[in-house]
Amino acid sequence: MAKLTMKWIEIVALLKDRKKIVERLQRCEIVEFSDFQDEALAKMNTTSHVAHLEKNINTAVEAKEILNEYAPTKKSMLSTLNGRREMETSEFGKYVEQRETYLKICYDLINLKKVITENRAAIIRTQTLMDALKIWLDLDIPMQFKGTKYTRCFVGVVPKKRTSEDILLEIAKINPKLEMIHVEVVSAYKEQSCVTIICHNEVADETSEVLRQIGFVFSSDPTKHVPIIRMQRYENELIKYNSEIDESINKIKSYADRIDEIEFLADYSILRKEKYIALNKIGLTKNTFIISGFIPEKYAKKCIYELETQFTAAINLTSPSENEDVPVLLENGEFSAPVESVAEMYSLPGKKDIDPCAIMAFFYYMFFGIMLSDAGYGVLMVIGTAIALKKFNIEGSMKKTLKMFLYCGISTVFWGALFGSWFGDIVPIIYEQFLHIDAPNMALWFEPIKDPIKFLLAAFAFGIVHLFVGLGVSFKMAWDKGQKLDAILDVIPIYIFVLGVAPLCAAVLVSVPTAATTIGKYMAIAGVALIILTAGRKSKNVFAKLGLGLYGLYNVASGYLSDILSYSRLLALGLATGSIAGVVNLMGSMPSNLVFKGILLTIVFIVGHPLNMAINLLGAYVHTNRLQFVEFFSKFYEGGGRAFHPLKVNTKYIKFKENN
Amino acid sequence: MNDYGIVLAIFGAIAAALFAGIGSARGVGMVGEAAAGVVTEDPSKFSKVLILQLLPGTQGLYGLLAAVLLLSQIGLLKGELIPLTMAQGFQYFIACLPIAVVGYFSAIAQARTAVAGVGIVAKRPDQSGKAISMAAMVETYAILALLISILAINGLK
Repeated sequence: MAKLTMKWIEIVALLKDRKKIVERLQRCEIVEFSDFQDEALAKMNTTSHVAHLEKNINTAVEAKEILNEYAPTKKSMLSTLNGRREMETSEFGKYVEQRETYLKICYDLINLKKVITENRAAIIRTQTLMDALKIWLDLDIPMQFKGTKYTRCFVGVVPKKRTSEDILLEIAKINPKLEMIHVEVVSAYKEQSCVTIICHNEVADETSEVLRQIGFVFSSDPTKHVPIIRMQRYENELIKYNSEIDESINKIKSYADRIDEIEFLADYSILRKEKYIALNKIGLTKNTFIISGFIPEKYAKKCIYELETQFTAAINLTSPSENEDVPVLLENGEFSAPVESVAEMYSLPGKKDIDPCAIMAFFYYMFFGIMLSDAGYGVLMVIGTAIALKKFNIEGSMKKTLKMFLYCGISTVFWGALFGSWFGDIVPIIYEQFLHIDAPNMALWFEPIKDPIKFLLAAFAFGIVHLFVGLGVSFKMAWDKGQKLDAILDVIPIYIFVLGVAPLCAAVLVSVPTAATTIGKYMAIAGVALIILTAGRKSKNVFAKLGLGLYGLYNVASGYLSDILSYSRLLALGLATGSIAGVVNLMGSMPSNLVFKGILLTIVFIVGHPLNMAINLLGAYVHTNRLQFVEFFSKFYEGGGRAFHPLKVNTKYIKFKENN
Repeated sequence: MNDYGIVLAIFGAIAAALFAGIGSARGVGMVGEAAAGVVTEDPSKFSKVLILQLLPGTQGLYGLLAAVLLLSQIGLLKGELIPLTMAQGFQYFIACLPIAVVGYFSAIAQARTAVAGVGIVAKRPDQSGKAISMAAMVETYAILALLISILAINGLK
């Protein structure tokens, strides 16, 4: 259970089988293709294929988004947890034959969406025009109307709000023959008024001059018809646009049951794209081809057997050389596999590293539990994750993450019970305030809030154990490599030193038996001496040895002090959950009337605890990671490994039913 | 004169909740602004940036924690105030300062790291774990300050 051993595989087979063999390997998901570099061999250029398939993928994805927008399938939030649906190979073949039809559906959908977008834009355009026309609605002549044989007509706007009298008054200043002029205000607003002025030809020029002076302008978009007719036309256009949109939406909706087929097209295109990328990497001769790549040793035998029996192929398996960039694949048991993603988040194990998951898992769950530290929340986590795992068909990393939270939840219940926290102090509150009897002691160990010093020391103790385990791993790694002296001298003095200093520091906070401090004193001195004497052993100069020794001591002392202090976050987060839960309960139990208290407590409980749980879950997750990454990994782990990326069925919606 | 002791002690509790809370509020706000930008481009990154946004929020909790601890210790929560001398009140006040001050500044420093982390999520969503780890580094100092405040408050019993 750890890093899988990788082998270098070379497959030579007949050219005519190349697609079948690559497809076979894709289904097995165990070979990472390497780009075969040899000038003597030809390469197949698949770039145009890949580009074409990428276009298909994008088309399908876009079509699916359109379908989701207009005809969303009713799915609960939780059902998104469901993994890919299974598909028989025979069914797959049937779908493949229909792929052109599916592509056509996708293009149809995209075109329909385009129609909708265009019509929506047209609607906005028309509405703007309608708004501009609205002020002219009361006009019962066309806005272009210029007059009759004996009259002139002016249709336009003047600034400011004016009545017909205002305008007549202005005109009267120059031309007193008002009986020859008729002024009508169509509509008036604060900024402008729409006016129609009809006058006899005799006074037309003067009137025009007056109007110019008061800022009259002809309407910028004059109508050929009476405005109301133009308005009706606009309204008809709107109806047309809307009906086109409705029609398109209905057409899109009619495709709702084709979503499976669109998903198939996306997946099928992804499959083929990956295949073509892989095909690009193989070397070709006239009649044969060669695939080279990495394969986990564990699965190699079965794969070779299958290929050799089904095809004419020569397969060669070798161990990769030392300086080869070998990819890393982790495989762990039920208990430690869930934390693989945490290790991956930091970095995959490098060449010299071991797989840290197995050692890390126990501490991970433990620290998470101490930080969340509320049994009630733990129970909720366990129930939630267990239901999700049982009810939904969850795959891959999501499944691992849920399992991790399941184990973390179990650990939280354990620690919460030790600290006596079940949704904070809800049990004592119910006992004391509703039943009026003394609450039983909830804590199986002790209540952190009543004795934070004890909690702090416990946290440091857990931290020391954690660090020592990390150091122990580095000891074993050095020992196995044959550097036995280094293993002993790099680790043992630190053990002695830290174990010696620990009781001395604890004595500052609590009373420690004198025997312990005395032993501690001697161990600390011995540790200091050992570190000074051995840390500089690689140097030949005596003074350099001493200098490096002192420097080593400084590093150990400051490094371990800060590392161990860092575990105080167990206390901080552990206390935070319980006390904020306590505040929630306190808020709920403020009324003295029992009925009110019951109602308020229920409401506050239902709202407050999930919030507190969410915040503290996040805190526990982040800080548990940190303790692993910074304090633990720094003792033995380097990382820098490259993830194993086999050619595989990298689909989103469907997977093949394996006929084993 | 006894009353002033209580006043000072409550002052301390309020300062812890106040400054750590303000720091967290500013911090969460800062990251939220950056996170919203990412979500407009790609709504699927919501959960990742949400985690980053919440990170500077813990300082406010620590301030609250210290305040609650102090208030419960001087009996305010049960309504039975324990008389404090001026000196005792002042001691409680001082004990709250680490988490009040460090809480404020570390929340903002952490928020800056988280804002930078939002940038990581925007460009390389697969590396979001590293962004979270970096922001979590800053929190250590808020935790240490809280530790001292709690130990001091607890020790004054």
